[in-house]
Amino acid sequence: MTISAERESEVAYPDPTPPHAGGIQGWTSRPGWLSQHLGTAIVGAVAGYLIGHWLGNVIASGYNYVANSGVNAIANTGGLLLGALGWLIGIGALNYPLAKMVGMEPAPEQETTSWTRYFRYTADHKVVGLQYVIGVLLFLFTGGLLAMAIRTELLSPTSHVFGPGTYISIVSEHGTMMMMMATSAVVGPLGNWLVPIMIGARRTAFPRIEAFSFWIFSAGYLVILTALPYGGFPTGWTGYAPLQTQASGGMMSYLVGFALIGSGMMAAGFNLAVTIVNYRAPGMTWSRVPIFVWSILATCALLTLATPTLVAAGLFGILDHTAQTAFYVNEHGGSSYLWENLFWFFGHPEVYIMALPGFGIVGEILPVFTRKPLFAYKVAAAGMVGVALLSFFVWQHHLFQSGINPDMRPLFMLTTELISIPTGFIFLVGMGTLYKAKIRFEVPMLFALALFFNFLIGGVTGVFLSDVPVNVTVHGGFFVLSHFHYTIMGGLIFALFGGLYFWLPKMTGKTMNKKLGQIHFWMMFIFFNLTFFPMFIIGLLGQPRRVFEYQQNLQALNDFSSVSAFILGSSFLVFIANFAWSIFIKPTPAPPNPWNSLGLEWQTASPVPYYNFERIPVVLTDPYRYGEEGAPPVADLGEELVGAGAGPRAGTSTGETSATSAE
Amino acid sequence: MTDTTTTPAYSETPEEREFELRASIGSYWTGGRLFIGMFTFLLASEAFAYFYLRSSNSGQLWRPRNVTAPTGIGWSIYAVVLVSSVLVIYGQWRMRRGSVIDWEVAGWTAVLGGLVALGLQIWQLTQLPFYPGSSGYASCFIGWAVMNIMMLFGATFWIETVLARSLRLRKVAADDGPVQLGGSPQAQIFRANVSACTYFWGFVAVASTLFWVMFYLI
Repeated sequence: MTISAERESEVAYPDPTPPHAGGIQGWTSRPGWLSQHLGTAIVGAVAGYLIGHWLGNVIASGYNYVANSGVNAIANTGGLLLGALGWLIGIGALNYPLAKMVGMEPAPEQETTSWTRYFRYTADHKVVGLQYVIGVLLFLFTGGLLAMAIRTELLSPTSHVFGPGTYISIVSEHGTMMMMMATSAVVGPLGNWLVPIMIGARRTAFPRIEAFSFWIFSAGYLVILTALPYGGFPTGWTGYAPLQTQASGGMMSYLVGFALIGSGMMAAGFNLAVTIVNYRAPGMTWSRVPIFVWSILATCALLTLATPTLVAAGLFGILDHTAQTAFYVNEHGGSSYLWENLFWFFGHPEVYIMALPGFGIVGEILPVFTRKPLFAYKVAAAGMVGVALLSFFVWQHHLFQSGINPDMRPLFMLTTELISIPTGFIFLVGMGTLYKAKIRFEVPMLFALALFFNFLIGGVTGVFLSDVPVNVTVHGGFFVLSHFHYTIMGGLIFALFGGLYFWLPKMTGKTMNKKLGQIHFWMMFIFFNLTFFPMFIIGLLGQPRRVFEYQQNLQALNDFSSVSAFILGSSFLVFIANFAWSIFIKPTPAPPNPWNSLGLEWQTASPVPYYNFERIPVVLTDPYRYGEEGAPPVADLGEELVGAGAGPRAGTSTGETSATSAE
Repeated sequence: MTDTTTTPAYSETPEEREFELRASIGSYWTGGRLFIGMFTFLLASEAFAYFYLRSSNSGQLWRPRNVTAPTGIGWSIYAVVLVSSVLVIYGQWRMRRGSVIDWEVAGWTAVLGGLVALGLQIWQLTQLPFYPGSSGYASCFIGWAVMNIMMLFGATFWIETVLARSLRLRKVAADDGPVQLGGSPQAQIFRANVSACTYFWGFVAVASTLFWVMFYLI
């Protein structure tokens, strides 16, 4: 039977529980103020926090050490954990697990076009993706504001805005928030929204786990925010013991917050990995899987396998503060190095959790704007898998200065240098695609090109840092700080914005303003480099991280860096203005396929239907056969053939239409 | 505000239906294994802490006076978990051979076993002969106890939901025979869930054995 013949024999779905879900008998999906939404989540969180705090006080009231310390970590932890639980109960995350206990499956979720769906627990991966967009940007901008505070303090080596304790708390909060955000920055918004559509699926494998990942991620954001009113924490984002065990109030927010975010990361990675393995459309062989999906798969492997170590490390820290265990207390049979090992066993794969999706995004953008196939596609995919595997074997290079057996240094120096090989492959794939290309300098492409410039600097300095002699010399200084900002912000955040400009027209159906996009890009690119490049010099001249006073002769460079940082920060205001203007204030409808891309996600209808595709597509080739005469169509969508051989479905021709209007 | 529309007609060809079914079954298979992978790394962190602190023996405080957690309760927890795991595995084996009632009895007994093990684990924490921060061993034991509670809770919850589902589906899908044996998509997905759950219980047995050896034998 031919595909078209089979499709003509379609049957209506008779199952009362189609593959999407609401809560108990549809309770959460019922619209209106009486249903569960963000408001009930806030009420649940506040109630949970108060109950948990009260319980903690009751439990700890008989212990002298609590009374003498002046800090009740049990009450803090109880409040934060039950607050998070109340948040999840309030939004409806526990409805389904409770219903399952009595053997019930959820009633069908009512599809709604109301904006209120963005404030609910939903099984629609596209809604979850857009919830993540807002959540991640909120995280990013909060962390960015803290960065502005840091640079304000560093304007002068002697006149101070903050005291030393406040300064280190701000630095710690900034680092932690940014790292938490960065782990989910691409997987959350773009991964959830795009991956099912890119592989031709109508749903994700576990949509409630996907929704859970977002709502626990947002709970983690609120928990880490509580660190400042609790007095902050002095450890930086790495949370090193013994400082961790000596710290008070805000440390619990760090530990609980990281555990919550970690749970969200595992949930998101778990769902997407299972979806990619099982829900690829017929014909979507591994050699046709889009490179962005490969990057997400490699990232999900890291999320699901490395993050449990972070959760375990956080659990031990919480137990040290509450149950008075001594995991990280040297004097009682524990070891502060235990934290460092566990933390970095997660922490270094985390670097690639942040880097790989960025490469995946630019791997999608480059072929579209060069109208060339992705160069050495299989090498790029293999490089991503190679990076993911090797990332488990390099964590000890973070401990070169922390008492590691000197004999172990060469081994970890070697593994660290080895990982630059698959990373280099991915980089060269980008260069090969650009070679002799006629580039369309649209806004997404500008961000993609910037990634290669920034990551080159970040990557090369990373190779320097993997060498023990250099590492010993510059450890703990601004050189390292600049290096990882070049890789994470210069790589991931530039890729994220490139991805947002590229896919937002499909995700929202609205056109982003091109002029504002260009202003955003050039401000961000120029002042990112002017902010962080001087920090290499500042670091080589000896300024340490996390210290609010520095040598007088470094003031000029610091001031230059600070002023650049302020302009860099204001570039995000341009993005916010563009987003608000283009999406909400004066929306301009976007064409269905404004970039004339061959990607499967652009071939389905706009706005994307609830089930993504009217018919499950049959994939016929990979989506990178640009400029190839006689190439087959990308997929049979059950309607008309689309792809290189069939011409653009959206009715736009190359370069003629843009998703960013110049008005 | 409530601009609600009804769900659009969702239709499938037989081929698409088969695709969705295979994907759902595969998701249980992959998800079950990946879930075990996640728990493996979680428990490996605990094992790493155990051996790291044991080998570093800071201040000779790994295990002063060779203290041990209450052995009787520990052995009881282990025995109950092991028996429950064997029952779950045996029950699935019997189910595949057509004996639905055997699987149900074995499953509900495992639920009971899981609850008993959970209760014993919590009770054991109130009977410890050492202060949590008195040694590396004491700290690691508390860490293991918390993780064990999480693992047992997860395993017990999972098997209970599967059993509850089978009871409810008994009414829904009677014409296709018992859901444990039927050929309907629902029945096939149900069996994939049972299989993944059983696999996890097997993992629980292996993990419990390893940590039992670590905390009570060596």
